[in-house]
Amino acid sequence: MQRIVRVPQDGVPVTEARDVAADPSMGRKFSIKTDVVVVGSGAGGSVVAYEMAKAGKSVLVLESGKYYPSAEFTEHLGDTIHEVYRDQAGQANSTADVLFIEGNCVGGSTVIGACVMHRLNPSVWQDWADNHGLKDLAPDKIAPYTKIVDRWLNVHVNEAHEINATAHKVIQGCERMGFSWRPVERNVKKCALTGHCLAGCPSDRKMSALVTHLPWAAAYGARLFADTHVTRVLERGGRAVGVEAVIRDPKTGSIVSDLRVDAEVVVLAAGAIHTPLIMQRSQLADRSGRIGNGMAVQPFVQVLSTFKEPVYGFRGALTGVQVDEFQDTDGYFFISGLAEPEQLMAVGEQKAGDAHIEFMKSYNRMAGINAFSLDEGSGSVVWEGGLTDGRKVIKWNPSRKEFKDIVRTTALASRILFSAGAERVWLPTFEKMHADSVFDLDDKLRSVDYGINGLYTFRMNTFSPHGSARMGVDPYESVVSPDGEMHDVSGLYVADASLFPTPVAAGPQWATQVFAKYVSDRILARGSNHFLG
Amino acid sequence: MSKNDSSPAFMAGLEPLSRRSLLRTTALAGVAFTTGCARVFGRKDAPEQLEFVHLTEDEVRVITHLTVVLLPTERHGLPSSTETIPTVQNLDDMVGQMSPQTRELLGLGLWVFERRPMVSFKFSRFSKLDREEATRYVHAMQEGSFFERGLTATLKALVTLNYWRDSRTWPALDYWGPVTQKWGVRRLGNAPLPPV
Repeated sequence: MQRIVRVPQDGVPVTEARDVAADPSMGRKFSIKTDVVVVGSGAGGSVVAYEMAKAGKSVLVLESGKYYPSAEFTEHLGDTIHEVYRDQAGQANSTADVLFIEGNCVGGSTVIGACVMHRLNPSVWQDWADNHGLKDLAPDKIAPYTKIVDRWLNVHVNEAHEINATAHKVIQGCERMGFSWRPVERNVKKCALTGHCLAGCPSDRKMSALVTHLPWAAAYGARLFADTHVTRVLERGGRAVGVEAVIRDPKTGSIVSDLRVDAEVVVLAAGAIHTPLIMQRSQLADRSGRIGNGMAVQPFVQVLSTFKEPVYGFRGALTGVQVDEFQDTDGYFFISGLAEPEQLMAVGEQKAGDAHIEFMKSYNRMAGINAFSLDEGSGSVVWEGGLTDGRKVIKWNPSRKEFKDIVRTTALASRILFSAGAERVWLPTFEKMHADSVFDLDDKLRSVDYGINGLYTFRMNTFSPHGSARMGVDPYESVVSPDGEMHDVSGLYVADASLFPTPVAAGPQWATQVFAKYVSDRILARGSNHFLG
Repeated sequence: MSKNDSSPAFMAGLEPLSRRSLLRTTALAGVAFTTGCARVFGRKDAPEQLEFVHLTEDEVRVITHLTVVLLPTERHGLPSSTETIPTVQNLDDMVGQMSPQTRELLGLGLWVFERRPMVSFKFSRFSKLDREEATRYVHAMQEGSFFERGLTATLKALVTLNYWRDSRTWPALDYWGPVTQKWGVRRLGNAPLPPV
């Protein structure tokens, strides 16, 4: 008999801390038994949850962030940062000069991302197949997965109406410089062109996990807990058997309940920072010694510019075009974008007093470019201290080479903007700095000294950490196998950007979702090893 | 609507503040939290409750002074950064959500920022500097060592973010703010299941 599956029309059924607190049957400590427990509900976790539930497995998704339904989105970035950005967008490296921006809510970063679905160049997949022994990642073998992601998430090349005024400035600059550019590919359906992607899409046009894989998974019976922080993976005899977690009141941080989950398969999809931290807290066997190491961050700076005439660069689709001239040769790429006024505080504003206000008042004449560069993958994340009272430490500062790349991407972005007619370019440095013509740009940039580890030089950010629990064939060189299963712990899989085998010059969401679908198929293919039924 | 939204009509009644009254505002803010007084500002549209739950008295003093220096709103026809927009209150809320490590770092940063001017500014603390000197100090910190630049940029970002996040500041920027409701954009709800 065929089962009728209905997707909820709006929202996702979620058990929150307040539900647990109000339910006396759960109490201060309870346990759940399930086939598959998925840690994290973002780009990777949501896909796995859906695939497993669709295959008839009982699935429990645990998300540390809160549930913020799209019906409640306000299009106020400042308020959204407070509600659903990890550490209120203040998650930083150990020297507090590089921001690691990620979502901390049901749906993860897919909720607050800019919809950019940056596909990996086929040469990257080929490299992983040829030089890293990952034969099943060869372009022809991975193609079925990429097609599914593209189709299900409505990934499409921006159409003419999705190219806003900021993007047109970038196009103009590129045309004059002779640089190659193309419209960005985004996962959005009938975009309303509000420009508020970073504050979440209140009309559900962004194909985030919140309106796709999570409700789809729920339709097949998957359950989802928010406010639930996984402390460690439970292991017995080299096999993952579940997780321990605490459910916290998101407002006070106080523990509402302790949770134990017994599962046949554990999937970590908490992102490239938190997945390795969970592994470290769990003190899992690891011959490679690479858990949390080798993390690439793909640093970016935002170069702002002001024009003589009003641009209203914040109107329309947030991300319009990307400059791909240097992507294959240097690992640089540039994406047009100017978000809400609050965003300027984090990326490029430098003035104080009257000058600060004058700067802000030129907002309607601004256009911006986000300039990304490929780093060497030498970052790390470390859990320091005890299981419950420890802390995460993110280590990454630019090497001299990475610093030079950031200088160069800044110079290129500035030249594009000057070529488009910008009167002034605001250099993304901690020191107050701008250039009023291309002729004084290089001198200004030369004056930014690398100093000690590039500390407090450029205002760097990252949306894209990856490779902190890499996939590979050699258990002495990599953390997870070509199936996505941890080499040294059976039944423990990784399905997020942690497993990228090498640093890539592309935003990670598209590839993460491709990998998550791929890992899901591997779990199901090895079902007889994991599942009793 | 944001919790901080109100009619933009309040801007018409905005009185320019003199330097002296601004300093008095700062002092009054200090009084407000030491006495627990919630309504020292008599304006109807003033922040209704000046209750700082997470910041210490010293920290509020430093941040309030920094707010006055960074955001001289009265000269630009903008809503006051201390009397109309609850900049410091917003920051206090933010501090309440910080991890213990970040909170500790912020406290240390504010302690240093307050005491850093002692040598160059006649042994005065930042919060005791008059507005002109305080502005000079902020500029000097922005041009200073990497540590000084970093500290200043961080504190400045926190203060200014908590001002510009208020929708009452947006008309001056010609920024359209939330539009989905205004335009009557229909919610699409969840995407249908993909075909099997």
